[in-house]
Amino acid sequence: MSYKVKLYHLYPDAMNLYGDMGNVIALAKRCQWRDIEFEVVDVKIGDSVDFSDADIIYMGGGQDRGQKIIQNDLAKRKTEIQGWIESGVVSLTICGGFQLFGKYFKTAEGEEIRGIEVFDTVTTAGDKRLIGNVVVDVSAATAKWAQKFRFKNLENPTATLVGFENHSGLTKLGPNTEPLGTVVSGYGNLGDGGYEGGWYKNAIGTYLHGSLLPKNPWLADHMIAVALMNRYGSPIPLDNLDDKLEEAAHKAAIERAKTAKTLSI
Amino acid sequence: MKFLAILVGKLAALATRLTKTGSGTTLPGLMAEKIEPQIIRKIAERLKYGVIVVTGTNGKTTTSKMLVEILSEEGYTVLHNPSGSNLTRGIASALIHSVNIFGTGLEADIAVFEVDEATMPEATTKLRPRAVLLTNLFRDQLDRYGELDKTAAIIGNSLRGFSEMTTILNADDPLVSSLAKYSEGEVVYFGVEDQGITTDSGLAMDSKDCIACGHELVYEERYLGHLGKWHCENCKEKRQKPLVSASSIKVSPFVSKFELALPKENLKVEMPIPGLYNVYNALAAATAATVTGVGAPAISHTLRNCEAAFGRMELIEVEGKKIMVLLIKNPTGANQALSAIYSDGKPKKVGLFLNDNFADGTDVSWIWDIDFEYFKIAGSEFVASGIRGEDMALRLKYAGVDKKNYKLEKDINLATKELAKKLKKDEIGYLLPTYTAMIEIRNNFTVKSDELCNMGKVTKRGL
Repeated sequence: MSYKVKLYHLYPDAMNLYGDMGNVIALAKRCQWRDIEFEVVDVKIGDSVDFSDADIIYMGGGQDRGQKIIQNDLAKRKTEIQGWIESGVVSLTICGGFQLFGKYFKTAEGEEIRGIEVFDTVTTAGDKRLIGNVVVDVSAATAKWAQKFRFKNLENPTATLVGFENHSGLTKLGPNTEPLGTVVSGYGNLGDGGYEGGWYKNAIGTYLHGSLLPKNPWLADHMIAVALMNRYGSPIPLDNLDDKLEEAAHKAAIERAKTAKTLSI
Repeated sequence: MKFLAILVGKLAALATRLTKTGSGTTLPGLMAEKIEPQIIRKIAERLKYGVIVVTGTNGKTTTSKMLVEILSEEGYTVLHNPSGSNLTRGIASALIHSVNIFGTGLEADIAVFEVDEATMPEATTKLRPRAVLLTNLFRDQLDRYGELDKTAAIIGNSLRGFSEMTTILNADDPLVSSLAKYSEGEVVYFGVEDQGITTDSGLAMDSKDCIACGHELVYEERYLGHLGKWHCENCKEKRQKPLVSASSIKVSPFVSKFELALPKENLKVEMPIPGLYNVYNALAAATAATVTGVGAPAISHTLRNCEAAFGRMELIEVEGKKIMVLLIKNPTGANQALSAIYSDGKPKKVGLFLNDNFADGTDVSWIWDIDFEYFKIAGSEFVASGIRGEDMALRLKYAGVDKKNYKLEKDINLATKELAKKLKKDEIGYLLPTYTAMIEIRNNFTVKSDELCNMGKVTKRGL
């Protein structure tokens, strides 16, 4: 039997900053290398889209302008996307996408951009940009996922995520959204070196660019595994891939986070 | 105070040169400005034909260099700041260097200053330029500047309040073009008029929505990133008619040919540097020259004989093989470099060297916006290197490059030699380094850029 994963890419034009397209490329390649069909549906402003066939919903980061442009269109899809996330659809949102999956984002000008409340988060503009390499310890989250899904790749998951943050928004987590991890090096959600990102059901939000998934292949595989289980009703074992280069890039990013100075402007 | 400021500045320049602690391109200005904050204005206002400022994301250095050469050819004595010294201290240093310690004896009658985007407000206030030229705005080193729209607003605000100043804008860049509203003086545009060079590469589109109303822009032609013939169907915003334009553009790995339409004359130009981005640089420089009153002969002569600026395009010799080095700093620049390399459609041997020091940009995410998937790279062989060589190798792996066709060698020298080894006799290699990787290559290998013009001619006959 041949398997399939279908990803819905929210606003690929307005919300594509800092190479976040690499996440879609990583998911596509890691499916193709395993002979899993991978299909992308681009969701643009005004498109009439039915998410009922979605395995993964994805949104990258954007500038404030991009966020303002899409907010009304996204608001119209709020109930539908919320519903699918409730039912366990996998989702990854980065930076501005993560902010808009929360309750609201209050800009430096005091303007409130409404989010779609997948996450119990509120974001307010801070007075400096938080920029630099990040390493996040995600062992608490993966331990919980491992209890829920008995996937092979979660037995000994890499306990870290690596990436690059560049945001001025400060995101506060409410009780219904758990932190994705704790910052080992970098600023994190509130710029205090505390929590990074958030997750609810199978939806993950984070500030990490990099791109995220190529350097953190276990997370890409986790998303693919959950997507397949949702679609086919039982766990589908994933073939092992040669991830030596991915692991080397992961290590290099950790090394760089230690040595390269982070910057806030 | 002016006397003291110049004296201290000159002593600082002398000291840095004597102690070999630097090239004296920024420290003198830094010290002189501390003593006399008005030093830039006081010297600049004595330039008989004023100051032209060049800013924007890509092409500042090459455009400035072309403009300086055109103006010199026309008979001006041109003062300019060296590449990279594009903050006010670099400008102050250049000005101090141009006068004697009494602040007189200024030989230059016009100045061309390349100015960093973030420095624009200070630069226009102090220099009161006769013209500001804005090349383009692309995502670049977002780690340093934050978001692109904010950079645009900073530049826009720096144009306010100068009714005597001409603003020269890239008509094909909707974000640049939108800055006309800030200008209180004359605004002129340059742009490409060509149906044959349209791209459908979708990545690195930095400005696809109408600045005025947010509606998605319609492109009749798209040339490079978000540059093209655009209009908004919602609010009627549209590309402005250029004063100077380029058409019938043909690029090969070594030369670019195009027709340059000046207000009163059309020129056929053949430049010994490749790439549509260099056509844009030439177009920008020709427009600034035209606005200054320079005639067609000086423009034509200069463009035919131009060379790329420092490190932007150079030829190095490694173990008897020739490698062309093209600096990359952001996805649009890298896509343009690849487009020049692959303009003949043949497989190549390419080095991609990625450093993430401050001067390179500390965020390497941008390599995922390089459109490797778009170029016909099948059969090409790659060497990835640099501090973040793993990231570059990973990008190639996910672009679908066969495992046997890419190699990771972290050490930049060894990687350069590795690339040379792959080359057959007389085959040209290509090396795309970020800034600090480029400096390292220049320091370690023989630069033979004077041969580039000849190569251009050889290729021309071959085509």
